[in-house]
Amino acid sequence: MTQQESLPKADSPATSVQAEKPEVKDVVELAMQETKENLRKVEKARTILHNASSIQVGQTPHEVVEDTRTYRLLHYQPMVANTAKTPILTVYALINKAYVLDLQPDKSWIRNLLSQGLDVYMIYWKEPTSVDKYVTFDDYVNVYIDDCVDIVRSKNKVDQVTLHGYCMGATMSAMYTSFHQEKVRNLAVLAPVIDTSKDTTVIANMARHMDVDKMLDSIGNFPPEQLYALYSALKPFKQGMAKYFNLVQNIDNDSFVGNFLRIEKWLYDTPAICGGVFKQWIDDVYRNNLLIKNEMMIGNKRVDLSKITVPLLNLVADEDHLVSPECSSPLNDAVSSTDKRLMHFHTGHVGLIASSYSQNNVLPKVGQWLKARSS
Amino acid sequence: MTDNNPITLEQFNKMFNTWAETMKLPTIGPMFAFSKEFGEYANEFINLGKTMAEMKANLEQYWSLINTAYVQASSETAAKAPKQFLTKEDFENYKKVMTDAFENAFTGLFSSAEFSKAYGKVFTNQLDITKEFQNIIERNSKALNLPTKSEIDEMLKDIHDLKKRVRDLEKGNEGK
Repeated sequence: MTQQESLPKADSPATSVQAEKPEVKDVVELAMQETKENLRKVEKARTILHNASSIQVGQTPHEVVEDTRTYRLLHYQPMVANTAKTPILTVYALINKAYVLDLQPDKSWIRNLLSQGLDVYMIYWKEPTSVDKYVTFDDYVNVYIDDCVDIVRSKNKVDQVTLHGYCMGATMSAMYTSFHQEKVRNLAVLAPVIDTSKDTTVIANMARHMDVDKMLDSIGNFPPEQLYALYSALKPFKQGMAKYFNLVQNIDNDSFVGNFLRIEKWLYDTPAICGGVFKQWIDDVYRNNLLIKNEMMIGNKRVDLSKITVPLLNLVADEDHLVSPECSSPLNDAVSSTDKRLMHFHTGHVGLIASSYSQNNVLPKVGQWLKARSS
Repeated sequence: MTDNNPITLEQFNKMFNTWAETMKLPTIGPMFAFSKEFGEYANEFINLGKTMAEMKANLEQYWSLINTAYVQASSETAAKAPKQFLTKEDFENYKKVMTDAFENAFTGLFSSAEFSKAYGKVFTNQLDITKEFQNIIERNSKALNLPTKSEIDEMLKDIHDLKKRVRDLEKGNEGK
């Protein structure tokens, strides 16, 4: 069948041009108006995108408790008079920046926890330089996180903290808890990378054939440009391109534009990843799946998840295309805790922490679980 | 040479090996020092050429996979797209069909072992090329009596280990 045959005869502009002249004129006028309107929107989008760098993120009031070359430890100003006794130390991932947990006031994970009466700290990882190429998980887990835990314990005069990690930060929190359980009251993790044999995501697939030894030797740290390449392979059309069409269509909606710009800023605010860490992440966690087998070595110590006995809350997103739920869920079977809970939410990796859905459906349950174990 | 008869990787390697043989100089006698330097430099450039040729072959495979996915998505779009474009909905439907077709084809590609291997090879080639350049610069730095990359790497490793030991000692003293 040819395309011409499929065209309806009666309504075709070609055949009805004589009989319905005004209608055609209207259609043309409408098309011209729409084109003009679309051009206006494109121009407005262009102007907004050119001036987008000033968009504010991470605005919840806080003090910097510790500032080192590697990280800043932030303590958020409490929002209620009496906060829970056990402080929460949030451990963010080494990919992108921690302000996604405090992206904007109405979608801030941190602000919500504060409003529920919790005392929140966060480790804000700084950008590594080429000097940090030999930094490994041993440094992050047994030095940086351990130092932060000690600072929080000392500042709040408590023996234990709640460790609260997201994504790679959740994996590091689990590693830390297996080594230093005496300092951890609760372990609350979001989308941890645990059993990569069950990870069906594009990222897991791409990681399997990377020569990380050569990378460490020649360029040192894993460069942001390679991360962009990996990100662009994730839902390349539905999210990668369609979002810009949506931006143009909604360019007069200030709230939509604000949300878009903040997420867009975060998405491309990617630091390099220390070479030593990235090598372990790919070789040990993704390629050889040593973490779930309790065979991963950090420094001279073996990570044994079965040693974890503290209360565990594990939150997974069913639509997660970065860390699949099947990769995160096995943590609950790997630990020896008797008080453990696995919660599934019908959202994605970022939707789990920085969305209206997360404010309305995830955080009330998280707050309830934490408060019950923070007295 | 025409596009229908492109040079193969084996032919590239043969060519580079021939050059390497041709450039060999006597390794004893008055030419010793020059011969050694010249030979090593020449080898670096020949290795660089070999890696670039290998990368070209791997990039061809990479783009062939991308092209296959693109053709598949385009065919699916053509098959499922509205046959007429008279209303705004027709254009919306076309956009939806096209987005779905491309999304499925490319996500399928990026999730495949074949693509992962091809991407890994290209990434490795990039690293190899970087390494070849570093080797050449390393020789230049040595000739100019400047610190080389490998020497700085050794220092970084030592500093990293020392910092860890100092931290452990400090923690140990705090506990006493």
